Amino acid sequence: MRSLKNLVRARELPVFAAFLIVMGGTSLAVPHFFSGKVAIDLFLGVAVIAILAVGQTFVIVMRHIDLSVGSTVGFSAFLIGDAYSKGMGLGTGMFLAIGLGLLVGAMNGFLVAYLKLPSLVVTLASLYIVRGIFNEFATGQTIIESEVPPAINWLGLNRFFGIPYLFLIGFALVIIAGFVMKRSRAGRDLYAIGSNPQAAELAGIPVARRVFFAFVATGGITGLAGAVLLGRFNSANPNSGLGLELLVVAACVVGGVTIAGGAGTVYGAFIGAILLQGITLSIGALGIPQFWQQAVNGSLIIGAIALDRYLSTRVKTTTIMGSKNE
Amino acid sequence: MSRFHITWDKGVGLFLVFTILLGTFSSEYFATTSNLTFIIRDVAEIAIIALAMAYLIIAGEIDLSVASMLSLSSATIGFLYRAEVPFEVAMVGGVLVGLLAGLFNGFLVTVLGLPSLAVTIATLALYRGMCWILLGNKPVNQLPSEWVNLGYSQIPGTFLPWTIIPVVVLAGLAWFVLHGTRFGRWVFAIGVNSQAAEFSGIPVRRVKLALFGFTGIMSGIAGVIYTLRFASSSPDGAVGYELGVIAAVLFGGVSIAGGIGTIWGVISAVLSLGVIRSALQLIDFSANALLVVSGSLLLISVIAPQVTDYVRNLRSTVSTTKQIQKNERVNHE
Repeated sequence: MRSLKNLVRARELPVFAAFLIVMGGTSLAVPHFFSGKVAIDLFLGVAVIAILAVGQTFVIVMRHIDLSVGSTVGFSAFLIGDAYSKGMGLGTGMFLAIGLGLLVGAMNGFLVAYLKLPSLVVTLASLYIVRGIFNEFATGQTIIESEVPPAINWLGLNRFFGIPYLFLIGFALVIIAGFVMKRSRAGRDLYAIGSNPQAAELAGIPVARRVFFAFVATGGITGLAGAVLLGRFNSANPNSGLGLELLVVAACVVGGVTIAGGAGTVYGAFIGAILLQGITLSIGALGIPQFWQQAVNGSLIIGAIALDRYLSTRVKTTTIMGSKNE
Repeated sequence: MSRFHITWDKGVGLFLVFTILLGTFSSEYFATTSNLTFIIRDVAEIAIIALAMAYLIIAGEIDLSVASMLSLSSATIGFLYRAEVPFEVAMVGGVLVGLLAGLFNGFLVTVLGLPSLAVTIATLALYRGMCWILLGNKPVNQLPSEWVNLGYSQIPGTFLPWTIIPVVVLAGLAWFVLHGTRFGRWVFAIGVNSQAAEFSGIPVRRVKLALFGFTGIMSGIAGVIYTLRFASSSPDGAVGYELGVIAAVLFGGVSIAGGIGTIWGVISAVLSLGVIRSALQLIDFSANALLVVSGSLLLISVIAPQVTDYVRNLRSTVSTTKQIQKNERVNHE
């Protein structure tokens, strides 16, 4: 009974309902819209954003933000292909990619957690620095299909009972991260830090350490997402991942991860990513020029933020009223 | 006690001198008039938007949608001109659209009470999307040549580009209003403590709304200059400029926590970044180095105040300890 109540109240539900409405509406307007091909497009399009949104959720829940993910994910994808083309194996490539992610995450985390610098500025700076080093390293080259490790190529092209492997990787990560966020002590601490950093510190939570490792985890996940990005496009170039950070933040915010911290789940962010991708596909199917895509996304984020604002004030008033009356 | 305090914005001024010297020594082409013209023209848009962004960040808000507003202004000009509206009217239209876009940001932040960071990430996408809706993927290139010439020609008899006039006038105005008027004091007061400002009778919401509108106008003006300079109105112009603007403003000594900042600091920062970019290009450094330099300067600009605070605290702790020891000695005697 209680779980049913929670389900109805959950912030994720209206987002998923919106997704169903978008898909259903498009199916009514365009017969045969929902086909296997659209499903595959949806799964593939969601994979990278979903993985990045998991990492971003860790950070936003703590009332921080990580804008450097777009640069890091592109560089990671490039590194894997570059290592393979120079005769190193997939293992070395993955090691380099995840290592890069962890390194960038550790840098961000150190500056934010221990030097107490604002995460917006720090990660904006690392967005620049990583992209600059990436472009210098890549010198305008492109990783072409023959330079993509066959295992990644295979994962990008094949499906497991009709569902692309890349999506399954993302989905597995979402489930694991969701469990960690809900059940583990460190996960709960992230929410406490985001709700009230001072109170969290006073309650004995090692705030600095948690913030540091959350950024490191986000970095590691971003490195991993590089492999998925490479598999998705079967190529990488110095512009890979450019601007992806905004799409990821958008998915989180639309999925109910509030920018003010302390609330939201990775499932929500995941569903947010699905909704954004669903809208992209239906805009294409409805024959609306693709030019509308960005404007629609923008309006959607504004709507989501406004809705959050409305819901949070409403929840507060009901609790106050409730305690007075009963 | 020394009277002269070396503050961050003065430091950036010195840094500007240093970068100019460095540029002069690194390349014989640096200190030529044509290169100076290039630098001024190159930083014009960022300088104009940075003036407004300085106000916003001092007041404790931020606007990430400035580059999209610039582009929306530019796209509006192209759209109107393509619809055979006179070019002069189209330019006014561009600035007006900038104002409206800025006011919409301000409405969402001050009336609905939404966080400006999240709101302007959303409008960054929204306004960019509107550029695409207005122009499609067909940029407008056939602009009247007498106007376009203004974008890259110089004031007759000098090496100064025409664009320096709006930059200087707007910088002077922004400097006067921020540092010389009651409104300017309000902006600082809001940034230090918005609630206290509210209680002392400052119309906080109206001031913030005005600042967002101001940022929109300045982005609109920058959009006009951008259109003239590149002789083109396209939907994908100035992508990522917001980061350059914010980097310049923070490097110029404006505190991201609000309440601190000066216009001359911001202008010095914009110019230093322009000078560095030009010097790096002249000594054949790639554009990538500039990305790394910008990022590092941004980091330095937030780390440095922390370090000076730390040193200051250390000093005061030392002096308090000495005082306590002294007192103890007195008590013993």
